[in-house]
Amino acid sequence: MFRMGISDHEAVRAVLDGDKEAYGALVVRHSHSLFRVAFRITGNEADADDVVQEAFLRGYRKLGTFELRANFSTWIYRIAVRCALDKLKASRVDESPRVAEETDPELDQVQVPDSAASPERLLLSGEIGAMQEAAMRGLSPTERTAFVLRHVENCSSEEIAAALGIAPNAAKQTVFRAVHKLRRRLSALRVSI
Amino acid sequence: MKHLTEEELIAQAIGERQGEGADAVEEHLAACEECADSYLVLLSDLAAMKPVTPPDRDEWYGERVWQSIAPSLAAYRARNRGWRRGWRRGWLTGGVWKGLGYAAACALLVVGAFFAGRQWEHSKQRQPTARVEQKVPQTKQPIVVVVLDDHLDRSERFLVELKHADLDSSAMASPIRDEARSLLAANKVCREKAAQKSDPELTTALDHLDRLLAEAANEPGGLNAASIAKLQDEMNSDGLLFEVRVLRARIASRKVAGNGPVKGGTI
Repeated sequence: MFRMGISDHEAVRAVLDGDKEAYGALVVRHSHSLFRVAFRITGNEADADDVVQEAFLRGYRKLGTFELRANFSTWIYRIAVRCALDKLKASRVDESPRVAEETDPELDQVQVPDSAASPERLLLSGEIGAMQEAAMRGLSPTERTAFVLRHVENCSSEEIAAALGIAPNAAKQTVFRAVHKLRRRLSALRVSI
Repeated sequence: MKHLTEEELIAQAIGERQGEGADAVEEHLAACEECADSYLVLLSDLAAMKPVTPPDRDEWYGERVWQSIAPSLAAYRARNRGWRRGWRRGWLTGGVWKGLGYAAACALLVVGAFFAGRQWEHSKQRQPTARVEQKVPQTKQPIVVVVLDDHLDRSERFLVELKHADLDSSAMASPIRDEARSLLAANKVCREKAAQKSDPELTTALDHLDRLLAEAANEPGGLNAASIAKLQDEMNSDGLLFEVRVLRARIASRKVAGNGPVKGGTI
């Protein structure tokens, strides 16, 4: 059984001293919070479960680099955000592009079909969540992650920057760009409905 | 009137602006109907993007996650054995010749040390015995006395620095730890000498000092505000600084009463 009474730092020390089971206490303690942030970023329950497992696996391998001055929950949270971002990028790659109906050579653009639900389907389903998801699909994985961290998780630009491994100013611009895109997308969806 | 840009409105809506910048935007929004309308639409869009609540996970979720990843994790080796493992690995991967080279170098060093020791013994035996017996008590005692006095002096300065350490500044943590490590070895020598001389007052003070120095020197992960505050509490509860000052005063009074230019105390 897990030694739930020990602190995060004590558990980390025990793991590094060879007590693998002590990591179980950390997993049990932080799984729920990681699942929540993973779900908010990926928007998918199964993906969020994968992200939680991957985050704890990565965390275990990197535990030797963890500084005991730091907060374990913040540290593993950042790893989970990175894992969720990787998951989003991987699922983007998996979605194979199909041939566009028309292209604009002058603008050097290739039109690809919209993978979001059609306005008719949105109208039929009448679900706000579906519209949100359709709007979110227009964002890049980094924009989506930055937006969720800012708007839902209430992270500062510095925290987002640290989690995404980019400069704070770049993190701020990414959030701005995400909001801008979402508004345009929502506006288009509302008009078409 | 110059209207606010979309970026300025977004910055305001997501709380990116603070202080005067935020107040200025608020004032403008209160005065400009067009911008206020745009701002309301923006807030409405953001409200529409509020997330779906994540599905619940039961109380056994964490344990299931652990059961799924545990088999793929290998236990860490204890940290303090790491250097031995690395050394052994280096020895083995370096090849037999490299190993033999090290062995030959070690053997040469041992033989050299042996001959040097013999030469030194011969030179010592040539000196008259009576002269040595006269010199030892005169030269040995001042050296130890100076060490104790210096040690108490340094310890007092260390304790004063620790007492006034700024908990908000991390710059002090490293020098305090380094000084504690340096004092720890000297304190050990002084404790041993004090125990031999049966000086309970000095032994007790040096024991207290030893505990504090060991904690400061070996705090895992280095010193931080919390650990420095803990050290300060321990120091104050033991009255350590006072004890050290009393000992220094005692040594100084004996120095005045003594008949030579001795710097230190009783050991």
